[in-house]
Amino acid sequence: VRDQIAKYAAKLLADRSAAPGRVAFAAQDDAPIAAGEAGLARLAGDVLSRLSCLGMAVAQPSLPFADFLVQRAAAGEHAILPPDTETRTFLHDIPFLRRDELGGDAAPKIAALLGTRKGVVVEGVGIVAGGTVTIEQAYINYSSIFHATFVKYLLDVLAEGFRLPGEREAFDAFRRDWLKPLDAEGLAFREGPLEDPAEVLDEVATVGRYTVERGLVDSFFGNISWRLGDTVYISQTAASLDELRGCIDPVPSDNSSTTGITASSELLAHRKIYESGGVRAILHGHPKFAVVMSMLCDEKGCPVKDCWRDCDKVRLLGDTPIVAGEIGAGGLARRVPPAIAGPGKAIVYGHGVFTTGREGFAEAFRAMVAVENGCREEYFRRLRLYWEDSSQSRPEASS
Amino acid sequence: MMSGWHGTLLHIDLSSGASRREPISPDLLRAWLGGRGLGVRLLRDAFRLDPFDPDMPLVFAVGPLCGTPAPTAARMSVVSRSPLTGTIYDCSAGGRFAHRLKSAGIDALRIVGESPSPVVLRIAGEAVSVEPADALWGRPVSEAVRALETGGSVAAIGPAGERGVLFASILTGEGNAVGRGGLGAVMGRKRLKAIVVDGAKAASIADRPRFDKARQDILRLFKASPVIFGELGISEYGTPALVDLMRQRRMAPTENFRKTVFERSGNYSGPAIRKAFDARKDGCFGCPIQCKKSAKGVGPLPEYETVSHFGALNGIDDLHAIVKSNSACNELGMDTISAAATLAAWGEARGRFPLAEEVGPLLDDIAHRRGEGDLLAQGSRRACEAMGVPGLSMSVKSLELPAYDPRGAYGMALAYCTSNRGGCHLRAYPISHEILRKPVPTDRFSFSGKARIIKIAEDTNAVVDSLVACKFSFFGATLEEYAELLSAVTGVEYGPQSLKELGEAICLTERFYNCANGFSSKDDRLPARFFEEPGSSGEGIEIPPIDAARFEEELGKYYRIRGLRDDGTFADPRFLEGLP
Repeated sequence: VRDQIAKYAAKLLADRSAAPGRVAFAAQDDAPIAAGEAGLARLAGDVLSRLSCLGMAVAQPSLPFADFLVQRAAAGEHAILPPDTETRTFLHDIPFLRRDELGGDAAPKIAALLGTRKGVVVEGVGIVAGGTVTIEQAYINYSSIFHATFVKYLLDVLAEGFRLPGEREAFDAFRRDWLKPLDAEGLAFREGPLEDPAEVLDEVATVGRYTVERGLVDSFFGNISWRLGDTVYISQTAASLDELRGCIDPVPSDNSSTTGITASSELLAHRKIYESGGVRAILHGHPKFAVVMSMLCDEKGCPVKDCWRDCDKVRLLGDTPIVAGEIGAGGLARRVPPAIAGPGKAIVYGHGVFTTGREGFAEAFRAMVAVENGCREEYFRRLRLYWEDSSQSRPEASS
Repeated sequence: MMSGWHGTLLHIDLSSGASRREPISPDLLRAWLGGRGLGVRLLRDAFRLDPFDPDMPLVFAVGPLCGTPAPTAARMSVVSRSPLTGTIYDCSAGGRFAHRLKSAGIDALRIVGESPSPVVLRIAGEAVSVEPADALWGRPVSEAVRALETGGSVAAIGPAGERGVLFASILTGEGNAVGRGGLGAVMGRKRLKAIVVDGAKAASIADRPRFDKARQDILRLFKASPVIFGELGISEYGTPALVDLMRQRRMAPTENFRKTVFERSGNYSGPAIRKAFDARKDGCFGCPIQCKKSAKGVGPLPEYETVSHFGALNGIDDLHAIVKSNSACNELGMDTISAAATLAAWGEARGRFPLAEEVGPLLDDIAHRRGEGDLLAQGSRRACEAMGVPGLSMSVKSLELPAYDPRGAYGMALAYCTSNRGGCHLRAYPISHEILRKPVPTDRFSFSGKARIIKIAEDTNAVVDSLVACKFSFFGATLEEYAELLSAVTGVEYGPQSLKELGEAICLTERFYNCANGFSSKDDRLPARFFEEPGSSGEGIEIPPIDAARFEEELGKYYRIRGLRDDGTFADPRFLEGLP
């Protein structure tokens, strides 16, 4: 258990979602264990002792966005409702505690909220996330909340501007210091097409790791595959893209075997993309700016309310198509394949990006980098336009 | 007025033929929910009785979600004490029977007594009658169902239940089994051939918009789950989708657990069954998953455990013979896992596993307790002891192990032992995370953290069995979403944590009953084979024997986490008094 705590504490720092020195985990085996920054570790242990749960992560996010969302929330609100797919599907909402609600001992209040949800934002403290089954699950829930609050905050800033003292300065620091140039420089990709299964497994694992390391997806999410003849080699469900060795399923296209029952929930989408021909590699990540931009729609008076599910249009962001559709059997697999067939890239509303490669993963990876960079540029262009050029009108709030 | 529950128990005394409706207090329902929890609570005054004592209740209990459009919730639990294991026993079953029982205005049906002659219990809304069933006695399940189904949904026993086969099942008219622990024999001892139930009472939902949102959240998670709605998942192939996976993971029990790979298992895989039988989707009332598969002219097709145990465990690769064995068990009213596992143990003991063509007659002999069948009707533990080879019974607390070799999943090894009803995969269902990667994967070859994980999962599944929902839902959804559904239906606020606390009370109550009947850590034991013999290693996967010392260490942790003494018993003899 201590090894697991060390591993996931290191991951929170490597993906830059937590502030250095402000991370703690607790676990209960037959006895409690806590590690990390002393105050947070104590809090993690105190909260965990009140819950039927194996692990607990407490960390201060590397960005103040979650706290800003709490401070921007109207009086009487008790939860953040990010509109992205991860939240809708897995988190539902993110309850929060304001600083003045904490009192002397915050643990009982945090535990009460964690008794109903996977994670909580505690103003001035950070994100507190539980893991019912594993330490990894606490890490995943922390990551999901960091991702969801990031996306929500960027959307809110675009729609409403800066409203709090110090907010603009913090945002500028985020843009200047936290955001890094995104590229594929220094990464080695195999020349395709790959024909040896061992080579395929190695390349899929390597590119999965690249995708996490370059911030195109949080460790636990996304998926990746390669088609070799009539077999799709695809990452397993609930696999971390940066730890794919032993977690790649070879799935025959004729369904002669069901060992692929553990394959990614997007197996169907991958298969349909391959059926359209000419593609050997598929990469799916959740780059944050693409997720943000996919939810901005300029259309006025549209009758569709549940855009993430019901929008049947193919919108364009630059030359990248955006389609709607829920995970797995929820519609994404129907809408992405026709949209991606030409451009080799597509964004799914509030969810993430699919890209393809005809010869190898280099094409798919670079396409995803380009999509995210394009979305990043467009986001800041719009921010400038909406809030520094008062003659421009702002978009409809996304649903 | 309560929402979600009727607040009514129907009590039947078969000795006198009398019946009465009794109120169940709202506090009791809120605390024990329904299904397994309510059934276990209702046994508090009877758990020391012999399973065949006339006063031993046989409880059919539905849950607060039953009757609503809550996904996978048209289920019930049947609760009593098992004649096979001697433990408290419950079994969850789907079909339509539970839905009809709820529609009759009943949360729980408690049957006691012993009729002097075979009878059928008819419930038609408020009307209740106990009617002679001499003509149906001795008849297979399908005949009883056909004779009675115009009166509503039927739950019946077959010849095995009538003759006290210790793993006799109760079958619903749709082919869903109340299986494993022999509650069909308890029903048979009461000379109750069948129950027919119908009703028209609608279930109430306290907060419909909240319910609808929670339902949508759950369906979204189902669609996101490759195990449920994936192209290779159980909605498409049923649970036999696991055949190929267990082969690939090298943990398919073969030849009475001597091996863990059966090379010809592809003959009865999910795709093979679909192709051979043109299998169509089928399932419980209102269930969106439809994981049951059936075929024209055959009826229900076998589940994973059944194909694997009538297949690999007995060294049989003939799909049609396996399907016939499943159908025979359903007609005779016997549990397929225990029947197949008992045959396998007997096969190993005599030095030859039964041939495919021998299985059908053997099953018939077991159900009718003829010849060798009389010995086998007592299950593998008693049969192996009688043959002088007790080590060949692959069971825990006399319940035969299902088709997940514990050497291939250490959480499963632990969970078989801590299960309050004996060697069952469904109490903690660690296959979900150790093999199917839900909600997150765990290392199947490690005991690390497993005691805590098993404890939490047992509590969670006790809740699931009390709602009553299907465990397959939890390949996608979690208690978070089902707590929302429950709160919306009942108007009482529940959350995952408060539900797990209810689940803990259920699990501890069951364990307390068992301990009061003499169970302790000495019964939380796997057969020695798993600590002494390796499984079938290969293809880069090692299947060594389980490390006995590490297993013991983790079992000790489990007891501490549960607040039990080192021998797995309770320090406080008045434990039950602290519970509602």
